Amino acid sequence: MKQEGLKFFTDTYLTVIGFLIFFSYFVFVAVNALRAPKKQIQQLAHIPFSNEDEHGK
Amino acid sequence: MRANTDLNAHTENIIYDDKIVKYFSLATFGWGIAALLFGLIAALQLAYWPMNMNMEWMTFGRLRPLHTNAAIFAFAGNAIFAGMYYSTQRLLKARLFSDLLSKIHFWGWQFVILCAAITLPLGYTQSKEYAELEWPIDILITVIWVVFAINFFMTIKRRREKHLYVGIWFYIATIITVAMLHIVNSIEIPITPLKSIPVWGGIQDALVQWWYGHNAVAFFLTTPFLGLMYYFVPKAANRPVYSYRLSIIHFWALVFIYIWAGPHHLLYTSLPEWAQSLGMVFSIMLWAPSWGGMINGLMTLKGAFKELIQNPVIKFFVAALTFYGMATFEGPLLSIKSISAVGHYTDWIVGHVHSGALGWNGMLIMGMMLWMVPRLWKTELYSVKLAENSFWVSLTGVLFYYVSMTVAGITQGLMLNGVTAEGKLMYPDFVETVTKIVPLYWVRAIGGALFVTGYLIFIYNMYKTIKLAPKDAPETVVKVTRTGWDEKTNDVHRKLEGMGLGFSVLTFVAVLVGSVIEIYPTLSLHRYVNPEQTTEPFSALQIAGRGIYISEGCYVCHSQQIRPIVAEVLRYGPASTIEESMWDRPHQWGSKRTGPDLSRLGKKYPDMWHFQHMINPRAITPNSIMPNYPWLVEKNTDFLSLRREFSVMKALGTPYDENTIANADIIAQKEAKILADELHKQGAPKGLEKKQIVALIAYLQALGQKAKTPSPTTADNK
Repeated sequence: MKQEGLKFFTDTYLTVIGFLIFFSYFVFVAVNALRAPKKQIQQLAHIPFSNEDEHGK
Repeated sequence: MRANTDLNAHTENIIYDDKIVKYFSLATFGWGIAALLFGLIAALQLAYWPMNMNMEWMTFGRLRPLHTNAAIFAFAGNAIFAGMYYSTQRLLKARLFSDLLSKIHFWGWQFVILCAAITLPLGYTQSKEYAELEWPIDILITVIWVVFAINFFMTIKRRREKHLYVGIWFYIATIITVAMLHIVNSIEIPITPLKSIPVWGGIQDALVQWWYGHNAVAFFLTTPFLGLMYYFVPKAANRPVYSYRLSIIHFWALVFIYIWAGPHHLLYTSLPEWAQSLGMVFSIMLWAPSWGGMINGLMTLKGAFKELIQNPVIKFFVAALTFYGMATFEGPLLSIKSISAVGHYTDWIVGHVHSGALGWNGMLIMGMMLWMVPRLWKTELYSVKLAENSFWVSLTGVLFYYVSMTVAGITQGLMLNGVTAEGKLMYPDFVETVTKIVPLYWVRAIGGALFVTGYLIFIYNMYKTIKLAPKDAPETVVKVTRTGWDEKTNDVHRKLEGMGLGFSVLTFVAVLVGSVIEIYPTLSLHRYVNPEQTTEPFSALQIAGRGIYISEGCYVCHSQQIRPIVAEVLRYGPASTIEESMWDRPHQWGSKRTGPDLSRLGKKYPDMWHFQHMINPRAITPNSIMPNYPWLVEKNTDFLSLRREFSVMKALGTPYDENTIANADIIAQKEAKILADELHKQGAPKGLEKKQIVALIAYLQALGQKAKTPSPTTADNK
C-alpha cells in the first residue's frame, strides 16, 4: 500500500492545474471577505432580522 | 404579485405566500413517515430476511432504493422547499414570483414521488444510486426543477432587499448544481416506456454516477440545509450569525471543493489513479469549509446556554450541527485510501450516511418545523414537553444506529481483509463475516425504531399544533422597505452580493471547473483501454438476465469490482480492469457488499447450484441472509425488447453484428432452451426456458468470462 504513493498524481498536468485554480480562487475569496468593511458585514448579517412578520410565537 | 404601494415610495405592504410553505410542510410530515418506515422494514430484513413477507416488491433490492429516494427526495426534498420558500420570501422581501408556478412545483414534485413509489417496488430502475428512476420520471423531474428555478430566480429579480443573504447563495448553488448533475447523469436512450440505456458505459458511467451521487449528497442534503441553517439558527437564537466573513469563505470554498470529491467512492477501482488521488485530496480539503460552517452555526449559539436547556428547537439545531460536524469529519477520513480499504463496501458507510441523514438532515428538519409551523399557522406550539421527548428519543435512535453500523462495518472490513502469515484468508467463508454482525443489525433496527418513534411523537405534536390554529385567520400584511439599491461601493464581493445573475453565473463556474477536469479526460476512454484486453459483449440471453439482475436490485448487495487489495484478490480473483466493464450500461460496480463480489462468479458453480441458491439460498449456504426469489421461476423473461436494446447498444459502440441485433429475441430464446434443458437434466422442473431464472443464471455464469485474456478463477466466492 505504501508503494502506491509513488503512483499518485500520474496525470501531473491536470493535478497542477486543479490545485492552481483552487488556491488562486481561495486566496481571492479570503482576501475579499476579510477586506470587506465591518459595517457592511454587520448589515448583511442582520438581513434575517430586518423584515419581521412575527405572526406566531 | 400582491403588493400595495404606500405613500412612502420605498415602503410597500405585501403578503407572503405561506400557503405553499404549508403544503410542502405537510408533505414533509407525510413522506417522512413513509421514508422512515421503508428504512425500518429494510433494516429488519437484514436482521431477519423473512421480513420481506415473500413479496417481490418488498424485497430488500427493491425496498432500499425506495427508502433512499423517499428519504432524500420526498422527506428532505419537501422540507427543503418548505424552508427555502419561507426564508427566501423574507430574505428578499418579496412574495414568490408566481402562485401558479409554486402550485405546479408542489403538485409536480408529489407526482414524481408517487411515480417513484410505484415504479421502484415494481423493479423499474436504472440501478444508478439515488438516480434509479426511469427516463419518463427523469424528464418530469427536469421540468419541475426548471419550474422551481424560474419561480426562485424571478423572485430574486423582483426582490426589495438588494443584497443577497448567505442563505440565498446556498439555495442558488443548490438549484444550479442539482440541475447540472441530474441532466448529465440522466442522459439515456429509451428502449421501452419504462426502460432506458445510459449513454455512459463502464468506467465513464461509474465516474459520472459517483460525481452525481456524491454531489447529490453535497447539493441536495448539504448546501440547501446550510442555507436553512444560516436562516433558521440565527432566527431561533434571535442573534445574527457568528461570523459573516466566515460564511463568505465557507460558501465559496464549499461549492468549489465539493464537486471534485466524487471519485472517493471509487478508490481502488479501475478508475485511473490520478482521478482517485484528486478525489481523495479534495475530500480531505473539504474538512476545512465543512467545519467552518459547523463552527459558524454552533458559535451563533454562543452564550445561549439557557436557550439550549429550555428551548427544544435549539436542542435540535445543536444536535444537527454536531452530527454535521461528525459526518463531515468522517467523510474525508473514509476518503483516505487506506481507511477506504477497510470501510468501503461495509456498513461503516451506512452508519456514516445515516449520521448525516438522520442526525444532520432529520434533526434540522424537525427543529426548523418546530420553529416554523406555529408561525405559519399563527398559533403556539402544542407541547414543549412532547418536543423534548421527540428530541431525546430520536437522538438515542441515531446514536444506536450510528454506533452499531460503525462497529459492524469495521468488524466486517477487518475480517474480510484478514490474511494469515501463510498468505491465506483468515475468514475464507464470506457468510462467516455476515453472521458475526447480524446481532448489530438488530441493534441498528432498534435504533431505527427509536428514531421512527421520536419522529411520530414530533408528528403528533405538529398535528396538535396545527389543530390549535385559529379558523379563517387573515393573511398577515407585511410592511417592507426597499433597501440597498442606492448604495455605491467599490468592494468586489459587496457588488457581487447585489447581482443575482452575476452571482449565479460565478457559482456555476465554481462547480463546473472541478466537474470538467474530472469527467472530461475519462470521456476519451481509448486512453485507458488496452486493445489487447478488450472484452466480448454479453449474449442475448445474458443481456436479458442482466436486466433481471438490475430489476431485482442485486447491485444493492453485491459489487462487481475487485480491488487490488491482497485479501480481495485471494477471495475473488485478479483485480478488475477497465476493459471488463467497458460495455456495461449501466455499470454494476456497486457500493456495498452485504453479499460477496460477483465479478468472477461465472462458471464457478454448476447451473443447478444457482437455481437452488436463488430459490432458497439457505439450501446452499445455511446462514445466508439473502432472501428467496421464488418468483423468478414463475415470471417470464421479456425477450421482446431485446432487439431495440441491442440496436441502442450497437449505436453506443458495443460491437454487435447486424444478425444479432435483428434476431436478438430469437437467439435469446434458443439460448434459454438449451440452458433450461440442461437444468432439467440436473433436476430442475421442465419447461423453464421462458422463465426469468434461466436468463439470470445465464448472466451470472457469464460474469468474469468475457475477457479475451481469461483470468484465472478464484478461491472462494461463497
